[in-house]
Amino acid sequence: MKILIIEDETDLLLTISNYLTREGNICELAKTFDDADEKISIYQYDIILLDIGLPDGNGLNLLKSIKKYNLQAGVIIISAKNSLDDKINGLDIGADDYMTKPFQLAELNSRIKALIRRRGFKGNNTLVFNEISIDTDGKEVKVNDKKIVLTKKEYDMLMYFVINKNRVLTKEALAEHLWHDNIDLADNFDFIYTHLNNIRRKIKAKGGKDYIKTIYGMGYKFTDQ
Amino acid sequence: MKFLTKINRQYLKTMGFSLILLSVLGWLILRNILNEEIKENISEKEYAVIREIKNEDNLPNIYPTVETKKIAKKKSEPQMFKKVYIKDEFENETEPYLEYTNTVEIKNQFYLIIIRHSLLENDTLFTAISLPLLLLLIISFIILFLITKKLNKTVWKDFENNLIEIEKFTIKNKQKLQLKSSGIDEFNRLNKTVKNLTNKLKKDYFTLKEFTENASHELQTPLSIILLNLEEILQQKLSEKTFKLVVSSVNAVKRLSNLNQSLILLAKIENNQYHSDNVVIINDIISEKIDEFSPFFDKKNIRIKLNLTKIFKVNADKELVRILVNNLLSNAVKHNVENGKIIININNNGFEICNTGPENSLKNENIFDRFTKENSESFGLGLSIVKQICESLKLIILYKKTNLHCFLIKKVIK
Repeated sequence: MKILIIEDETDLLLTISNYLTREGNICELAKTFDDADEKISIYQYDIILLDIGLPDGNGLNLLKSIKKYNLQAGVIIISAKNSLDDKINGLDIGADDYMTKPFQLAELNSRIKALIRRRGFKGNNTLVFNEISIDTDGKEVKVNDKKIVLTKKEYDMLMYFVINKNRVLTKEALAEHLWHDNIDLADNFDFIYTHLNNIRRKIKAKGGKDYIKTIYGMGYKFTDQ
Repeated sequence: MKFLTKINRQYLKTMGFSLILLSVLGWLILRNILNEEIKENISEKEYAVIREIKNEDNLPNIYPTVETKKIAKKKSEPQMFKKVYIKDEFENETEPYLEYTNTVEIKNQFYLIIIRHSLLENDTLFTAISLPLLLLLIISFIILFLITKKLNKTVWKDFENNLIEIEKFTIKNKQKLQLKSSGIDEFNRLNKTVKNLTNKLKKDYFTLKEFTENASHELQTPLSIILLNLEEILQQKLSEKTFKLVVSSVNAVKRLSNLNQSLILLAKIENNQYHSDNVVIINDIISEKIDEFSPFFDKKNIRIKLNLTKIFKVNADKELVRILVNNLLSNAVKHNVENGKIIININNNGFEICNTGPENSLKNENIFDRFTKENSESFGLGLSIVKQICESLKLIILYKKTNLHCFLIKKVIK
C-alpha cells in the first residue's frame, strides 16, 4: 500500500512511517500543509493519514484536495483533539476514520487494514494465517477449512491478532480495542482471558495450533515462530 | 430601602422640622410686629380722643374700644398696657384685648382714657402661620412624589435594567456585559467601572481556561510519541524485568492520557461545545449500554431489574448521554457486591440507577467534585463528568442512600 503520512511532529512521523514501512507499505511523509497539498495533487495514494492540527493550516481543508485529486485514497484523521465536531466534520467531508492521540501502532494498523478491506483493495477480503482463514465480508473463520463459530468479541480479538501478527500486544491494548474507552473496569482483563481461552479452544478443536503466546503474563503475541 | 424612598423620607423629615421651626419663629416675629402696630394704633386713637375732648369737649365712648371719663385726681402710673379678656356679646366668648390706660390733664381737668384693641388669639395666630406652611409641605411632597414616579420611569429605569444585567452576569459566558447609557454622569461612571471590571474578569478567566485547554491538547502529542516509542521497545527481545517496566510505563502513559482526555471532555461540556439539538431517548441508550455491560454483570452475578415502561427523552448530544449512562452504570458495577443487583427506573421526567453496595453511604457533599475517589484505581472524574453533563442538559442529579445507593436524574421542573 502507498501511504501518505501528514504529521508535523517529526518523532511521531518517523515512528509511524518506520512501523508502516516494516509492515510492507511504501510511506511518504509531509510535515506541512503546503507540502501535503502539493503531494496530494501530484501523486496517488491508497491511504492518507491526516493530522488535522497542522501549524500552517487546518488539515480538514486538505480533505477537499484529497477529494479532488485522490478520490480513491482512504483517509484516517489523526487528531490531538478528541473533538466530536472535528470528528463529525471530518467524516462528513469524506474521511473514513478518526483516531485520537495518543494511539498505539497496533490499533493504527488494525484501522488501516479495516479501511483497506472496506475499500476493497486487491480483493483483500480474506486474511490467511497458516491453517486459519478469515473471510472479512461474511465474518467467517475457518480452521483447516472447517468453520468455527466465534462470538463478536472473539472474532474482533482474532482479527486484531492476525492483523498485528508477530507483534507484542499488551493486555491493555487488547482491552481497549475490544471495549474502547467506554469501560474502564478493572475486570476487563478477566474477559480477555476468557475470550483468549475460548479462541484457543475453538481453534484446537478443528486441529489448529495455538499461536497466541503469552509474554511474561502481561502481553500477547500471535506468531508461528 | 430604595434610593428615592430614602431621599423622600429625608426630605419629609427636614421639611417637617423646618415647618415647626419656621412656624414658631414666624409666630414670634408676627406677634411682635402686630403688638407694635397695635400700640401705634392705640397712640393714634389716644391722640384722636384727646383732640376730641379738647376741641369738642365731648367724651367719646365706644365700648369696648374707647372709654373716657372725668376723674378727680391723677393716677399714680401715668401710662399702662395690659392684656384683658372681654366677653364678646355677639359670639358669646371672651376675646383678648390690649388695654391702654392713661390719665391726661386737659384744661385743668383729669381724664381717664382707656383704649382697647382686640388681639388675635395666640393659637389663631399660630394656625394662621403654620397652616399655609403645612399646605406648602403637602403640595411640595405631592410634587416630589410625582417627580419620583417620573424619575423611576426614566432615569432609574435604565439603572434598574443595568442592575438586572449585572445580576445575570456569569463569568463563564463569553458575552460581554451590555449596560445602557443613561445620560447621567454618575451612572455612566458606574457602568464604565463595572464594564471594565467584568471584562477584565472574563478575560482573565478565559485566558486561564484557554491555557489549561491548550496545555491539555499540547500534552497529547508528546504522550503519543512516548506511547509509540514504548510500544516499539516492547517489540524487542526484553528480559522479564524490563518488559514489565515498559508495560507499566505504557499503562501509566495511557492513564495520563485518559486523565487528560477526561479534563478536556469536562472543559468542552463546560464550554457548551456539544449541541443539544437531537432528541435522545434515554431508554434506548440504557438498553444499549446494558447490552455492552452484560458480561460485567454476569461476572459478578448481578441481577438487573429494568423498569422501562415510561419513556424519558432529552434534547442532547447522543454521545454525551452515552457517557452519562456509561459512567453511572460503570459505577453501579464497580461498587457493587457479588450477587448484587442494579435497579433502573425510568419515568417521563427522569430516571434512577440504584445498586447494592457497601453499607456506608457516600459522603454526599463532595461525591461530584473532581478528584474525589474511593481508591487509587480511578481519577475520581466519572461523577464530576456526570454532574457536568447534567448541568449542561439542565438536569438535576441527586444521590440518596436507602438500602441501595441511588443516583436520580430528573428534569428541572419550571
